[in-house]
Amino acid sequence: MSTSARSDIFSRLREVSRDASAEQIQRERQALGTAVAPAPPAPGLCLGFLTNVLKNRGSVDCASSRSEAVKAIGHHLYSHFRSHRLVAGNDPRLAAMPWRDAGVLPRFGSLEAGEPVALSFAQLGVVETGAILTWTGRANPAANNLLPEHHIVLVDTADLVATMEQAWERITIESEKNGRPRGINFIAGPSSTADIEGQLVYGAHGPRHWHVILLGNIPADALALARSSASV
Amino acid sequence: MEQHSDTFLENASAALKNSAQAERRDFIALFAPLIRTAAVEGFAEFDTLRAHVKRVRQHSLDHLEYYLGKFEHEAVHNGNHVHFARDGAEMNSIVLEICQQHSARRVAKGKSMVTEETGLNSFLQRAGLQVMETDLGEYIIQQAGETPSHIVAPALHKSAGEIRALFQSKHDLGARELPETVDLVSEARQVLREHFMKADVGIIGANALIAENGYSMLVTNEGNGDLCANLPRVLIVCTTIDRVLPLAQDATAMLRLLVRSATGQAQTCYTSFYSGPRRENDVDGPIETHFVLLDNKRSDILGGDYREMLECIRCGACLNHCPIYTSVGGHAYGWVYPGPMGSILTPLLTSLEQSNALPNACTSCGRCAEVCPADIPLPDLLRDLRHEETTKKLNAPRWRRGLKMHAWLARHPPLYQALTGMVIPVLNLFGRRRGSFKRLPLASGWTGQRDFPAPQKGTFMQLYKAKLKRQAAQEAKRNHEH
Repeated sequence: MSTSARSDIFSRLREVSRDASAEQIQRERQALGTAVAPAPPAPGLCLGFLTNVLKNRGSVDCASSRSEAVKAIGHHLYSHFRSHRLVAGNDPRLAAMPWRDAGVLPRFGSLEAGEPVALSFAQLGVVETGAILTWTGRANPAANNLLPEHHIVLVDTADLVATMEQAWERITIESEKNGRPRGINFIAGPSSTADIEGQLVYGAHGPRHWHVILLGNIPADALALARSSASV
Repeated sequence: MEQHSDTFLENASAALKNSAQAERRDFIALFAPLIRTAAVEGFAEFDTLRAHVKRVRQHSLDHLEYYLGKFEHEAVHNGNHVHFARDGAEMNSIVLEICQQHSARRVAKGKSMVTEETGLNSFLQRAGLQVMETDLGEYIIQQAGETPSHIVAPALHKSAGEIRALFQSKHDLGARELPETVDLVSEARQVLREHFMKADVGIIGANALIAENGYSMLVTNEGNGDLCANLPRVLIVCTTIDRVLPLAQDATAMLRLLVRSATGQAQTCYTSFYSGPRRENDVDGPIETHFVLLDNKRSDILGGDYREMLECIRCGACLNHCPIYTSVGGHAYGWVYPGPMGSILTPLLTSLEQSNALPNACTSCGRCAEVCPADIPLPDLLRDLRHEETTKKLNAPRWRRGLKMHAWLARHPPLYQALTGMVIPVLNLFGRRRGSFKRLPLASGWTGQRDFPAPQKGTFMQLYKAKLKRQAAQEAKRNHEH
């Protein structure tokens, strides 16, 4: 049934599609160029990213070193859960973090029932929308993005890109190197719904809380500026 | 899905009498345009992007055979099974067959208007499968045995109180009362989480298919679609053939328009791209993935006069801005797609005979075309459908006779002017004092609902001619003085 449905549909499409060779079609698409992207909300990738994460109802922290990042994670865990436990994917970058500096006790693997916090190391941060980007694999099991109460995400300033087009360029490089990832996930906020009377509620199916820690050389006033610019 | 579009007027009258629902629709009509406008105004080049995406969509549809073939090739290369379905019945059978091959009993489903169109849920349920909608709005209406009233927010017609009562009757709540909206959301989260964990098959839709790399794009805020795509051992993506875009960057360009127009965000909480089954070193993901690509008259639409309708990105902006939709709500339209986009799609996907009332559910105000991120001339397409309705003699003979008379009169200007030249002054004479009429012969359809404004003294042509005469006299006077 499926084969004849396929040939029926394709023969119908052939009748109504414009006649052109693959090269012509590709040239035509190329001539249409690239889309415009919105201007960043603030100058500088760090400030723009932090501002948009805050607008997406994420909470943010900045860390200038890996040790500081671990401390920020420890602080977040303790202030919300009075605990130092979390689950992290098998990402070599996470394995190499100085966990002892803050007494954080990560378990490496996929989140299981009863574990409230997962940590991901984002592949990219997208300034345009304040999204972080992960792709599925051992380094970041899907359950770690989708099932915890709190999702903590580390983003390296070197991995910030301005637009979604630039994000695709980086994904293409990864795909050429290691094959196409099964899933590519842009995450821009805690899971939310407005399905009941239009009232916005966080924690629909996924994380109720989304905490982003930007790691690297960040201008000293970036966080304060981002807070004031996101609240406008 | 069962269709009731032929009783649109009766459905609409009944909807108008439900004042609680009407109030909630008033809220949508006020709130949704505000958040859209704020988002669009925050992106200065929105119109430039709209024009770019339109060109890309037109290009994709011009070469749909090529791009669909390319998508299929890439998707198969990524490890997917790709199926084609000519109509809804074929899509349903393909999905059921996949479920049966895996001896599946439980299905977790993400929001998909396409599967509403084909009636997939009831088909699978009749075959003994347990199908659970997991989008909160879809879950609510599934539990209530209702249909979506909006393509983005399917349960907006229900109050929190009604949803609370529904959960009380369907869930084992014990002493819990779920007083706040957040409690209702948590309750659904808990119930559905269990279902996600036990589901054998996940079914999702797709907002776009990308020809260059075989990925499908899924846009959600809740994350339920992603749970469907990642947890069950089999994933089935159900969508239509017209969703194909050439490049990955085209999908995200469209996303910029879609999300701002739908929810006023820059990006939804989750935008995901899925390529296929789990790879060798993956620790999770489905072991088998399928695409079921539905035609259901799209290829006919592509070859016809309404092809621009295939550029619709299902944002719901035309619904939120339509004075008819926001007055009568989505159920009045009697099928899957309501509002302006639905009034065009329903006749095209079902038949004009079954749904000729819908293209008439339009005041020609043009707001839908103004806000449409795909730049579809919706009022023009609705007018063309009304024209077709008249040509096919689907409307009342009395109405057609009236239109014929009007057309004949309009083609005879002297007679038209003479006739209106007599009627207008009479109406002016009798209505001048009050400014409007409560009743008028031959116009009870109008005056039954509202007053008819009294016209000014002369017709347009009388005023125009008088003005020309005055100008000529002034000209002659000036010439005489010189």
